[in-house]
Amino acid sequence: MSRQSSVDLDPGSEPRPPDTVLQNHGEKNSPISVILVSSGSRGNKLLFRYPFLRVSENIASSAAKQRSPYVLSSTSDVTDDPDGDSRFSDIILATILATKSDMCGKKFELKIDNVRFVGHPTLLQPPHTIQANADPSVISCMHNLSRRIAIALQHEERRCQYLTREAKLMLAMQDEVTTLTETDGTPQSPFRHILPKCKLARDLKEAYDSLCTTGVVRLHINNWLEVSFCLPHKIHRVGGNHIPPEALESSLKAIRPYHALLLLDSEKALLAQLPLDCSPALLRLIKICSAMKNLQQLAQDADLALLQVFQIAAHLVYWGKAIIVYPLCENNVYMLSPHANICLYSPLAQHFAQQFPGHDLPSVLAKFSLPVSLSEFRNPLDAPVQEAQLIQMVVWMLQRRLLIQLHTYVCLLVPPGQEPPGPPEDEPLPVSRVTGRSLSTPSALSFGSPTSSDDMTLTSPSMDNSSAELLPGGDSPLNKRMTETLLASLSEHEQQAILSVPAAQNPDDLRMFARLLHYFRGHHHLEEIMYNENMRRSQLKTLFDKFRSVLVVTNHEDPVISLFQSPAGVTRCGPDTLHTSPGPSTAEFTLDTEITPSAVHHLPSQCFKGFRNSVVK
Amino acid sequence: MGSSRRIECIFFSEFHPTLGPKITYQVPEEYISRELFDTVQVYIITKPELQNKLITVTAMDKKLIGCPVCIEHKKYSRNALLFNLGLVCDARTKTCALEPIVKKLSGYLTTLELESGFISNEESKQKLLPIMSTLLEELNATGACTLPIDESNTIHLKLIEQRKDPMIVQEYDVPVFTQNKDHFIKSQWDLTTQQILSYIDGYRHIQKISAEADVELNLVRIAVQNLLYYGVVTLVSIFQYSNVYCTTPKVQSLIDDKSIQEECLHYVNKPGQRASLRDVFQLYCGLTPGTTVRDLCSRYSQQLQRVDERKLIQFGLMKDLIRRLQKYPVKVIRDERSRPPKLYTGCHSYDEICCKTGMSYKELDERLENDPNIIICWK
Repeated sequence: MSRQSSVDLDPGSEPRPPDTVLQNHGEKNSPISVILVSSGSRGNKLLFRYPFLRVSENIASSAAKQRSPYVLSSTSDVTDDPDGDSRFSDIILATILATKSDMCGKKFELKIDNVRFVGHPTLLQPPHTIQANADPSVISCMHNLSRRIAIALQHEERRCQYLTREAKLMLAMQDEVTTLTETDGTPQSPFRHILPKCKLARDLKEAYDSLCTTGVVRLHINNWLEVSFCLPHKIHRVGGNHIPPEALESSLKAIRPYHALLLLDSEKALLAQLPLDCSPALLRLIKICSAMKNLQQLAQDADLALLQVFQIAAHLVYWGKAIIVYPLCENNVYMLSPHANICLYSPLAQHFAQQFPGHDLPSVLAKFSLPVSLSEFRNPLDAPVQEAQLIQMVVWMLQRRLLIQLHTYVCLLVPPGQEPPGPPEDEPLPVSRVTGRSLSTPSALSFGSPTSSDDMTLTSPSMDNSSAELLPGGDSPLNKRMTETLLASLSEHEQQAILSVPAAQNPDDLRMFARLLHYFRGHHHLEEIMYNENMRRSQLKTLFDKFRSVLVVTNHEDPVISLFQSPAGVTRCGPDTLHTSPGPSTAEFTLDTEITPSAVHHLPSQCFKGFRNSVVK
Repeated sequence: MGSSRRIECIFFSEFHPTLGPKITYQVPEEYISRELFDTVQVYIITKPELQNKLITVTAMDKKLIGCPVCIEHKKYSRNALLFNLGLVCDARTKTCALEPIVKKLSGYLTTLELESGFISNEESKQKLLPIMSTLLEELNATGACTLPIDESNTIHLKLIEQRKDPMIVQEYDVPVFTQNKDHFIKSQWDLTTQQILSYIDGYRHIQKISAEADVELNLVRIAVQNLLYYGVVTLVSIFQYSNVYCTTPKVQSLIDDKSIQEECLHYVNKPGQRASLRDVFQLYCGLTPGTTVRDLCSRYSQQLQRVDERKLIQFGLMKDLIRRLQKYPVKVIRDERSRPPKLYTGCHSYDEICCKTGMSYKELDERLENDPNIIICWK
């Protein structure tokens, strides 16, 4: 069989793109190995691979070695193959991975039985082999890493022929070892010798090790260029399954200004991990970050645009350094997460005991068996320091996804009339339609349109009978018409039902109800309504109670951020990485945080394009 | 998902004694460009180490799946016959399901060659072309193909949908049919499954089915796991009036999704009654931590005149509208001399403990409620 010669520039040219191959092994999202292959004037060479074949396997003559692995039957299980990479001897790898020039610059993917090779042949590329049935997003992530390493190596090659030097070193070592083997007969793995001498080899090894364990790779190619990469599949795990990056991204797009950012590492640890030339905005944000401030407040405190804060927050979340929560306050209701590990002997329990001497995790968790608001823990006789400790414990548990927060959701459902069962066409009240029809009254503010009136920073609007509207109260024809308009989008039957509620006799109550109608679809929780409409919790609760014959209320977690609340077994938080919340004073516990409504309610999706870059220059 | 597994081309490639690797036949014609073949031929007609392996190579926006075969014999020029019958798809296609087909085809051709020289004989080789056309057509259309090749050989191929691995089935899990049991054709299933079928009613748990059907526990587990894999059943938890449930965010789908609404109302209606959406939704929302089903029954007795509470719970669990809150006992305080807790570690729920020890819920409750060293977590 003829072996085609590799395309070459000229005899003395530098070796063509090495392909690094990561083979997957056991764990679905981990690579099996990293391989560097080059193709040049002297043919195809396997420069380096890690992990290397064990010495004992090299004892038999290399010819025999090539034959035996291929006798493995193809029924071998996809997951159980500890010697997966030994199936492919060095030579055959060199052959199959040194691709032709037309495959350069594009993603390279080759699957042989249960092993998949992913790479990016260019002037330097490590193909990765991964588990055959790996998720396509894992494959594209691996390919991403390949490409980044390639770009870095390409750059360094142009600048100072880094790769050529390293390749020469590797080949020299291999030759040396071969001669050594021939002379004194002890088989050696050449790659073992390459490791201490060759920086590139060590980098590749490190990439492999990191990918297998934490999923975060940070390399300094030639001690100069940084390549950072994270495999979201490893970092974000929900009870054993990874969160696909697409789900992550769509959750991030639903972040609102009233959400808060909870760091998963301590401020110090996080700052230490950042590269020297990272953005100052990021530094500022991390320094003032607190689980009790919402993103809007963070923007104000750090003197950044809200959009920027969103971007940085998304970035931190993507890299597994933070999660999105609702800001901590007294009225928050928490419950044990269904995925929480409450085992007596878990490492979490040990960490907790170290962090909070005298307390044990199961007992504290038991307190959250039923939904409980933080205010219920408050004891006026307690010293302030105990309250501070409680906050710290709650933060600790949130960081490790042991708790979920419950919110109240409301749904309009009128009792059936004499008509056939089931409510008539429940069209969701289109917001745009109502705003279109609404008169140019200040009540249009409540629908999220930008307003010049910055007086919306009312912190405690007086809430007796008149609602937060700035309209003249009472029974003015203007108000009446507006209420009618709002209710007009409902069916006849629904309108009847609402109007027959005793509370509907009070025009103010009815008006408030009509105004909030579009929230009663079960998709907006109480806090969101409070934020958007600048209303108090007690107001809303009273309203719900008055109209309870047409409403149904339930409590559950917020599906938008529940993605971040679920994962169990987050091992990245060690005992010393507690994010210390500011100050023990009780003043930190704000009752019903009245968050100033921002004019920006919906963030354009453009701000998430490109938030995923890392620092490859 | 036929379109996402569309086969664009089937090709037959071999090593010609003088011309080297080439594509002898391909349908449709001219699909694989000269360029593409040059790029990937090393993976089509391969070195010995790669033969008989399923090789999928992605290049130029296409995926080629093949299994190179080598038959060594003196009668062949160059002492070996090398060929590869492969498929071509778009690079974005998920091709896992096609792999067994390629492997099977290579096996068939190998057999044919060994039996009657099908490929090395120029005349019979030509029959490949119509065979490949039929394959392409039928696999794309129906996902299956049955082709007689000659008097004694017929090819049977089928695309098998790949499914996710099912969860492990525990003794305290309760299987329930996802569709009407009447649609179930008993004879299609194995004997064990047939024997336990009548005991699957959405209320009996695995241990009980095993006892009543007189089938060994592990066999029942495996049979149910099999049914789970094919989506015939799903698992819910044991029903007791002392159970506690709570709503999940998905409960809103009852409001949003008309089809789930109708399905639900149909399922949970008491015969002869007509429940309203409000009734049902109120009942689901009435399930909260701390509320038992018994409490629900007394609070919403009016609605429950029209709704069967057991079916309500069943439906809610099947569709993930509600979830069960289980009790986990943890022994937190113990003196140094006593043995470490084995079951009361927070890892085992009441359901599991009761199943394993044979105690009833009530007995376990009585035992634990009065033990000051044990705390209970609900999740």
